[in-house]
Amino acid sequence: MNWKLWALKKSLFVYHANVGACNNCDIEIVELLTPRYDVERFGIVLVGSPRHADALLVTGICTRQAAPRLQELYRAAAQPCVVLCVGTCALGQGIFADAYHAGRPVDETIRAVDPNAIIAYVPGCPPKPEAMILGVVKVWSKLEELARGPAAAPRPTPAEVRPA
Amino acid sequence: MTTTTRIPAAPATAPDDPLAALTAPFDVQCESVSSQQGFYHVAPEQMVPLLRRVIEAEGGRLATVTGVDARDGTELIYHVCFDPRGFTANFRTLIPRSTDAMESITPWLPGAEFIEREIHDLLGVDFPGHPRMRRLILADDWPAGVYPLRRGFRKEHGQAQPPTRAPDPAPARVPEAVATPQDNGRTLLSIGPFHPLQEEPEHYQLLVEGEIVVDLDVRISYNHRGIEELSSRRTFDQVPYLVERVCGICSASHPLAYIRAVETLCGCEPPPRARYLRTIVCELERLHSHLLWVGLAGHFLGYNTVFMWAWRYREPVMDILERITGNRCTYANAKIGGCRRDVPDELLPEIERAAAAVRGPTEMLTKAVLDDPVLHARLKNVCVLSTADAQRWCVTGPTARGSGLPIDVRRDYPYEAYDQLDWQVITAPEGDVLAKAKVRLLETLESTRMIQQAARECPGGPIDAHVAEVPPGEAVGQVEAPRGETFHYVRSDGGRNPVRHKIRAPSFVNVPSFRAACIGQHIADVTIALAAVDPCYSCTERLFAARDAASGDTRYDGKHLLELSHQRTRWFERQLGVAPFDQRWARQFRERLA
Repeated sequence: MNWKLWALKKSLFVYHANVGACNNCDIEIVELLTPRYDVERFGIVLVGSPRHADALLVTGICTRQAAPRLQELYRAAAQPCVVLCVGTCALGQGIFADAYHAGRPVDETIRAVDPNAIIAYVPGCPPKPEAMILGVVKVWSKLEELARGPAAAPRPTPAEVRPA
Repeated sequence: MTTTTRIPAAPATAPDDPLAALTAPFDVQCESVSSQQGFYHVAPEQMVPLLRRVIEAEGGRLATVTGVDARDGTELIYHVCFDPRGFTANFRTLIPRSTDAMESITPWLPGAEFIEREIHDLLGVDFPGHPRMRRLILADDWPAGVYPLRRGFRKEHGQAQPPTRAPDPAPARVPEAVATPQDNGRTLLSIGPFHPLQEEPEHYQLLVEGEIVVDLDVRISYNHRGIEELSSRRTFDQVPYLVERVCGICSASHPLAYIRAVETLCGCEPPPRARYLRTIVCELERLHSHLLWVGLAGHFLGYNTVFMWAWRYREPVMDILERITGNRCTYANAKIGGCRRDVPDELLPEIERAAAAVRGPTEMLTKAVLDDPVLHARLKNVCVLSTADAQRWCVTGPTARGSGLPIDVRRDYPYEAYDQLDWQVITAPEGDVLAKAKVRLLETLESTRMIQQAARECPGGPIDAHVAEVPPGEAVGQVEAPRGETFHYVRSDGGRNPVRHKIRAPSFVNVPSFRAACIGQHIADVTIALAAVDPCYSCTERLFAARDAASGDTRYDGKHLLELSHQRTRWFERQLGVAPFDQRWARQFRERLA
């Protein structure tokens, strides 16, 4: 398992899934690729297929229509795969929590497929690009820790990877 | 949904009703009329002939239709805009619960297709004669016969079935709204729901014959959050925070359209300084949104240099927005009656300087894009939306102006400080993708000038008119968002919440026009054609594999479709014998610096 985690953090390939967001988080994510933030410096690339992804970057409240598709995306991604929930909606549905068309929050939807999923949270409405980079850095340090540790190291809980 | 109150009918035709002559042959009662909007009561059987007359003969534009669940039936309000006159007529009719049906207008007005399907989903009104009456915005697993905007609806009613289905080992299934391939010569290309073009996941299905698109369908719902229903449970002052999250890129326009509706309802005028500050934020929003579009359009064509430069020049705009409002994306600057926060006077010259600083690079970008022979080859005469089609599909914003329709809410229904500024409406008659790019690029330059002028001339004084309460009544509010007209309808019964708040985002009318523009086009052009109306999108490649309908073999996935588009650009470069764009761009940039 260690070498897999070691390889995972080398160059993070990210697949971006919008499951009912308002575009704010999404344009800030695209912002990360453009000259001012330019996360490709760190080997982070947005990819076009979940099959190529090391991380699923999820934004939005996870609407009823999108929830089964999100589960399919997660199953299609090569494991181990980190789930990055970006924005208040992805964390706990925010202002839309009692909307009739909202499904379960992103983390619950993912855990219905994989109870041991590695999930990180970046709060904000929308989080600033710097906050998103910080979130990735925290995931990296956690993965490093796991890769160094004994093979039987338990998977992190959301609380452990949540940015302070 | 709370119960609705009937608006007391005003005495028959008010003396200054601008539509008196037009509506005279029909059974129409004028309920209330002001300089910009009027409400009319129409008998149900008279509605369709009346609409046909005002839309086909008088050049009215159907903005949207609002459905309201009333005590004894469903109220339908057809909002028709007479843009040259700057007047919005709202034709109201009550259809009894026993029939709950209204003749469809889609057969002669294709732009009404989505509007009627939405009302069918949310209120259960039937539209006999509608050609494609299928579920549009509710989930596949939404129980039949449950309508979220009817009175007495509660969230639990929609959850008769579990909200997510159990993990399914089979690959993504084809949803119900599927076009069936006619024979083996045709292939069904499935794009989405997670695909390269839009922020909102949407499922496109292109039926192709060889490389040519012969039919097109779209299924939305992935992003439906039910904001209209949520809005009826928020107080009037909370709603702006909710509606600025309708769309992150239009997060100044949606609250402003709502606020304008409520201000009309209250009969209140925001102070001059508030009007200027709102204008500045709206134009900064247009600036960043258009630059964002130009960048993404460049990316789809394989010109990543344009993508990077456009987004680089967009950054100073985001910075100044953050200085003004405290946030890069959700601004929360406007409130009912004025602005929530003042802008310090010493910041105004900085806004002016920032707008001026954006203009140079934007001019260069415009020149580089509009003078490029390969871009002309890729975009000229591609996916043409003719002026007549633009009218029939009721499109708005740059999509309409790129098709030669000179409509712009900022000029036709002057609001905020737009009538104090010197600017012009940009139109291009061709209707192809290049025309739409041209309109957006030139509007960017107009915006920088408007911001400069507004910052320079911004008057002093208070920023808030202090609205204490919202009286019973109803009104509509329009704002020109970067993508087109944002249309809000608000009804109040004098309580704390709006009893009905209808939101019509510009993409809701622009997206269906794909059907008019894409059929008969090359697959490699579809990526840019779908992007041409600037639906709210991100630029990640998010497409499931397309399969050959007969054999099930994978033909294209998102990457291939984008590569196909890039290859076509390269092919034109070779054919035209010009250097790759990046080199030309670098040369232009060096020349400019020299």
